[in-house]
Amino acid sequence: MNTPSLNHARVAGMIAVTAAVSFAVAGCATAPQSPQGSAEVRSKLSVLQSNSNLAVKAPVEIREAEAAVLLAEQPVGTDAALGEHRVYMADRKVEIAMATASTRYAEGQRAILSQKRDQARLDARTREADKAQRQAAALKSETNAARASAAEAARNSAELQRQIDLLKAEATDRGLVLTLGDVLFATGRSDLKPGGNSTLDKLVVFLNEYPDRNVAIEGHTDDVGSLDMNQTLSQQRADSVKSYLLQQGIRSGRLLASGMGETRPIADNLSASGRQQNRRVEVIIKNPQSANSKASTN
Amino acid sequence: MLVSTRINETYRLYVTAGLAGAMLLLAGCATAPMAPTASLNEAKLAIQAAERDDASHYAGAELDEARQKLILADKAVVSEDMLLAERFAQESTVTAKLAAAKTAATKAEAVNKDMSRGAEALIEEMQRAGDQQ
Repeated sequence: MNTPSLNHARVAGMIAVTAAVSFAVAGCATAPQSPQGSAEVRSKLSVLQSNSNLAVKAPVEIREAEAAVLLAEQPVGTDAALGEHRVYMADRKVEIAMATASTRYAEGQRAILSQKRDQARLDARTREADKAQRQAAALKSETNAARASAAEAARNSAELQRQIDLLKAEATDRGLVLTLGDVLFATGRSDLKPGGNSTLDKLVVFLNEYPDRNVAIEGHTDDVGSLDMNQTLSQQRADSVKSYLLQQGIRSGRLLASGMGETRPIADNLSASGRQQNRRVEVIIKNPQSANSKASTN
Repeated sequence: MLVSTRINETYRLYVTAGLAGAMLLLAGCATAPMAPTASLNEAKLAIQAAERDDASHYAGAELDEARQKLILADKAVVSEDMLLAERFAQESTVTAKLAAAKTAATKAEAVNKDMSRGAEALIEEMQRAGDQQ
């Protein structure tokens, strides 16, 4: 007696369970679906919400969009038009939130931008000031250099003058004229007397000091003897001086020797002393070419 | 006592029924075609606001869509489909607001571009001045 009733209860229980399961399955199958398009709007909103730069900029708009998306996700059954309307509204609200966030983000960036611009402006001014300072410094150093070179030139000219004084040379239009008396030569001879060359040695020192100065060596005689003979003798004496200078290491290109004969006396030939003065070799130290050309171009 | 109670009860029943009827009638009147004036006005105002911001220049497509939705809403009113009119009016409003928001975003971006161009121009100018030295 007991057994059948027990069996009966078991069967009833099984049926109930089966029914519940099938109900559940049926429930799943007919689970209310979200309207078409709502998933896209949801993912659009998620993109905005996960953008940490933008999400914080429009919290109110995002909340409104969120509410609209939630509503759009509600099942609408057969009312497709309602679902469409809600999706449309949600999509627009998400877009409004996005635009609003990007507006505020842009506004937030302005502080940085204006800081950048101010920095650029400051840099420009600093640079200008630096440039002006550099220019001033350059000008100053140029002035100093000019002053130094003027001082140098002054020193040089003082040195030159000292050398000229040492040579006992005479400054003329042609240059510095150094007169070597006939004491250097024996009468009628053209070779230099040994030991009488201290004046010439001073000239060598001078020419080594001023390598830009060339030299013209002119031989002169008195009127004793024939013109031809005097011409030859004067040339030979000038050549003697030239070869002495060459021996001392002066370049031949700087030296020009010529005989003037008896044509250019500096005293009368009537007295012995006058004739002695006329027997001479003049060394003309020419003014430097470069200095002349520089002067003409300036 | 007993009689008067019964009369009262009957009276109450009548009053209740009458009120219910009146309410039903009123409810019937409410569902009768009535244009969603408030929503339509809101849409118009939103469109005007967007126009004032020069949305036709910055968000022409959205502004145009808002206008079209308002036209559809008006048509729905004419055909007495007030539910549709209400929805179109809402869609018009939200789209007009979107036009305004997009306009604001574009304008803000333009301002920023100007600012950064200004800074860049300065930096460029400095570099050029630097190169000349």
